[in-house]
Amino acid sequence: MAHTTPHPVAVPTPAEGLAHPDPAWLARRRWARAGLVYTTLLVLSILFMGPLLFATLSSLKDQPTEWPPRLDPPQLSPRYWVGAYRLGKEGGGSGWFGSFEPGSTLRMELTYRVPPGQAEAPIGVQVPRRVPGAGAGAVRTGPFASEVAAVSPVEVVRRVEQEDGVALTFRFTVHNASADVAVDRVPLDVTIPRGYRLLEATLPPNREERRGQVHSWNNIAGGLIPYVFYNYHRVFSENYSRSTGRNLFLTWIGNSFLLAALKVLATLAFASLAGYTLARMDFPGKQALFVFMLFSMMLPPQVIFISNYLVLRDGIFGLSRLWGGGSLLNTFTGLVVSGLVGASAVFIMRQFFLSLPRELEESARIDGATPWQTFSRVILPLARPALGALTIMTFQGAWNDFFWPMVVLTAPQDKYTLTVGLLSFRRTYGVAFDWGPILAGAVVSALPIVILFVIFQRYFIEGISFSGLKG
Amino acid sequence: MRLPRLAQEAAWSYLFLLPFLVTLGVFFAYAFVRTVYFSFTDYNLFAAPNWVGLKNYLDLFRERLFLTALRNSVIFAAVVTVGQTLLALALAVALNQKIRGITAFRSLYYMPSITSSVVITLIFMWLFQRTGAINYLVTLASRYGPAVLTFAGLAALLQGLQVSWERWRGLPARPLDPALLVVSLLVGGALTWALWATYLPAPAAVAERQINWLNTRGRWPAGWGAPVPLEAIMILNTWTTAPTFMLLFLAGLQDVPREFYEAAAVDGATGWTVFRRITLPHLQPVVFLVLTLGLIGTLQMFDQVAILGDQAPLEATVTLAYYVYHGVFPPGALPQVGLAAAAAVFLAVLTLVVVLVQRLVLRAE
Repeated sequence: MAHTTPHPVAVPTPAEGLAHPDPAWLARRRWARAGLVYTTLLVLSILFMGPLLFATLSSLKDQPTEWPPRLDPPQLSPRYWVGAYRLGKEGGGSGWFGSFEPGSTLRMELTYRVPPGQAEAPIGVQVPRRVPGAGAGAVRTGPFASEVAAVSPVEVVRRVEQEDGVALTFRFTVHNASADVAVDRVPLDVTIPRGYRLLEATLPPNREERRGQVHSWNNIAGGLIPYVFYNYHRVFSENYSRSTGRNLFLTWIGNSFLLAALKVLATLAFASLAGYTLARMDFPGKQALFVFMLFSMMLPPQVIFISNYLVLRDGIFGLSRLWGGGSLLNTFTGLVVSGLVGASAVFIMRQFFLSLPRELEESARIDGATPWQTFSRVILPLARPALGALTIMTFQGAWNDFFWPMVVLTAPQDKYTLTVGLLSFRRTYGVAFDWGPILAGAVVSALPIVILFVIFQRYFIEGISFSGLKG
Repeated sequence: MRLPRLAQEAAWSYLFLLPFLVTLGVFFAYAFVRTVYFSFTDYNLFAAPNWVGLKNYLDLFRERLFLTALRNSVIFAAVVTVGQTLLALALAVALNQKIRGITAFRSLYYMPSITSSVVITLIFMWLFQRTGAINYLVTLASRYGPAVLTFAGLAALLQGLQVSWERWRGLPARPLDPALLVVSLLVGGALTWALWATYLPAPAAVAERQINWLNTRGRWPAGWGAPVPLEAIMILNTWTTAPTFMLLFLAGLQDVPREFYEAAAVDGATGWTVFRRITLPHLQPVVFLVLTLGLIGTLQMFDQVAILGDQAPLEATVTLAYYVYHGVFPPGALPQVGLAAAAAVFLAVLTLVVVLVQRLVLRAE
């Protein structure tokens, strides 16, 4: 007997009982086995889902690369939701999404602990002129909250003696003193004497600066959603196209959906036709075509992309000029035309049609139906499950596609798909190690596929077992 | 006049195949032929190509970056293919159980495979940051390593004692009897905790480990190992592809006839013996398939390198596929399409060799 059995739960051994008849002993063993199996399954779940869940949770944090990594961002605590909602309303917004309207007043309360023996000194409050983060948001120009905000004098409203010092509660307001300037961001800096520790706040600061002597808020008037989903809000609100002024992230999502939908339609129509032909009909060169198709599925796309790039650049042998177009680079037409039918989709449909019984078609043929009639009236209705799997797989493939869109769509940014856009996020935010928006963007772009997967799991798994037959 | 039946069917076939034939013809066949043609020229995307014969192929093997890419690709393909195959096999065997809720778990494990490479790579880049979660886990491991080792030792000792005791009583206890194992783990854990609390040094005394995973030219093991950033990608890739292959193994496992296991059990064979003598031989075709698919897939590795971009030095991550792209669109230099095309042809031949070897092995069986 080997001492290092790597799979203690691997193989059911129904004959265990033959060796020993004691039922209590067997029952004990069965329970222990089930316990170990579930423990293993749970550990593996942490291994495979952990990074994704951890990233999703961290995308809420102000600083996703804080050390040590923690899992309790203040964004998840309900009492701050109340504060964020109230401040959003006070600024004249809806509470969910705040604002800083002319004439509105934001009320803040902060409680600090003064260590024993230290003189009680006031805190300094200031609305700084600050642009949001790195990336495209950094190029924005006014109006800034600092131009319109008037901070009231800070008053001490409560003083509680504690064993380990004195808890001082400060109150101040920030008032929009302008007649007609509404601002969407009100950053705040609070300078505190050395040794003070924050105990409570209407809204907690987003970071500490200068060795903890300045507590800094990104936006106290943002409202609930921009507070909890700060990085997500940034992803959507900081990225605007320089040429058209459109919201870039929304545009990318739209582009990805549009391209994936077109790709799905083309694949459904043409791959099922081609797959049916390869499975059922006879024509010269069939075997050669099949082998060639398999060959095309094996090669990396980088092997053939040079010519494809040139074909699009020159407008498909100049053909696109006939319709008044020039180069097909940076166009969706180019991207769709160059990937009209994927060989693997044809292969999957061929495998499916091979598994259908022949009798139905033969009776149709005897009745004098043309191949088109047979295909559209008899075969397609039978292929509904396969077409479902194909739809899901094609959508997933197109949504996740990265290399070819990156080559074809380079400028302007309005043309990007979500994956290419995320790469540009990596460049703009990554320089400043500003991981919040990058993670938020990644989570948003993974969401549609995760939802599809939860609903249509079966199709995903069938697709894998079909395409696994290749090679 | 009507065409004969066969000609008619052929005509319909070509009509049905038209969109596919056009796509395959223009964007694959023509493209492949043109890549081969470019590999014999000095084309640079702008000027007309001139025939240079085998020069590009000879130059390729004098190019430092190409040789680095070749080396990286081969190491990457070998390590990841072996790693993901073993992990997938272990997972499949662990999951091939008839217990409640197993499908839910299977779906969970599959999640990394369906998410796009861009999303996964970005998340991993974040995990591999200097102050990222991976370094935190490394720090934890170096702090609590002694405790874990103590725990493992104690658990093994307790297990040994218990098994001997059961056997002495005449019960057929196996070395890893699950019921005894649970007791060993629990008691071992409690003893370790007690030892740790009273005797061993405080964990905070161990320094924090902030390894630079991405922006480094270092190798691990130092000197001859693979570049550290490439190893980070290896971990990522194994993690995302193992679940896919696990599904193939699971399908294979379910085809193993139950009678074999029952016969083995009657003969008294257990655990490892059953796995080696029954499960593995039945899975052999699947293993070959997974190895081939793994090699084809890993030789194509591109996305991760492109997304890492300037966060890691090019030499530490470049692969053959990325080398081709880099040759066509070098940042701030004239494209060397001829050289890139030669590398592309080389990559195609490498892939074909892998597939042909698999075919030959399967035929020899």
